[in-house]
Amino acid sequence: MSTTLKIVIAESSVIIRAGLEVTLKKISGFKFHLVEVGYPDSLGEALRMHRPDILLINPLFVNGTLLTQLKEENGCTDTKCFALLYTAVETSILRMFDDQVSIFDGPDEIKKKIEQVILKEIAEETDPEDSQSLSVREKEIVVCVVKGMTNREIADTLYLSTHTVITHRRNIARKLQIHSASSLTVYAIVNKLVELEDIQPKG
Amino acid sequence: MYKKAKYTEHDKMSDLICDNYPMVLVTSRFGISLGFGEKNIGEACRHNNVDVNTFLTVVNFLLENKAEPIDPEKNKFSLHSIITYLRNAHDYFLNFRLPHIRRKLNEAIKTCPQDVAFVIQKFFDEYAEEVNKHMMYEEKVVFPYVKSLLKGERDQKYNITIFRKRHDQIEMKIIELKNILIKYYPGESDHMLNSVLFDIFATENDLATHSLVEDFIFVPAILELEKQ
Repeated sequence: MSTTLKIVIAESSVIIRAGLEVTLKKISGFKFHLVEVGYPDSLGEALRMHRPDILLINPLFVNGTLLTQLKEENGCTDTKCFALLYTAVETSILRMFDDQVSIFDGPDEIKKKIEQVILKEIAEETDPEDSQSLSVREKEIVVCVVKGMTNREIADTLYLSTHTVITHRRNIARKLQIHSASSLTVYAIVNKLVELEDIQPKG
Repeated sequence: MYKKAKYTEHDKMSDLICDNYPMVLVTSRFGISLGFGEKNIGEACRHNNVDVNTFLTVVNFLLENKAEPIDPEKNKFSLHSIITYLRNAHDYFLNFRLPHIRRKLNEAIKTCPQDVAFVIQKFFDEYAEEVNKHMMYEEKVVFPYVKSLLKGERDQKYNITIFRKRHDQIEMKIIELKNILIKYYPGESDHMLNSVLFDIFATENDLATHSLVEDFIFVPAILELEKQ
């Protein structure tokens, strides 16, 4: 399942923005939600409103201001910043960025850069083994959830803390891209984790 | 995929549809029927008593595909017309689209194990009910509120910010169902199931853009109206 990333493109040229949009669309394995910012004045507001995963920005947009300051002011401390380059830029400025994208980069190069910066983080959060399929423990929790048990009840049944149950549930949602209990029910039946009679109200 | 340009009232209506076929849903929601002949957008709108500016605002917003609020000051559109558009869209989803998908889905999953068919059907029915509630809230609470606001009547207890805060993404759950079918469907897949998947993809997109029209055209206009 592809990773969804929110990207703000801060660049005054509409042609460059459109070109980036087309190029990003060619990258597989990611789904991008793009927000375009054409004027430096509207950058702060766009960051506050969208809190992007990535800010792809023409260094001229932050002329003088520090990137860290810009991110802090707008509540985007986790946003990764890529400098969008089409000319040579002083190295002291480039140091503020997590990485750079040149307008001569193709989809493959951009993909590699995004993976290096973004997936590093995601990988740290997940267990090293197959990150898509559920562990035995997670499957047990799915069964409990679709039976309608509360986090407290699940914790008691499986001898876990509620905090651990919540963490497992979050991981399940991320792995399966399923967030609602009713979708999880369909998942559990289709994958034979539960029988229909287990989940129907008795009586 | 689609031609992306700003349309004006002098462009031919048939060109708009041929270049961007999802716009056929927009014309029908405004009450403009097919058979435009050589009429341009302005003529076709006037012929059907549709406010041209409102029609163009919606069309250009959808084609530009940018989630940015439309300034009601710059785009002189009619709120009555937008409400008609939204109402017709609701009617389409609730009384045509979802029942149609339901029928096709039930037909498509006939051959898969009974328990699977049962939960999928149940899921879909619950989902349709959720969409129904979501849209009925707009019909019963939001639109009447706006209509009285347009008449100059103030409501002390309600404002559009309440709606803005509770307005959720109704397409999320159907995306999950689609993903489950794609990843785990246990039966033989056939043409009917593929066809349902196509329908769900289209509907998911349609629901998402429907919400965008509400959030970025409708709501900003009401906020402006409330200020007056």
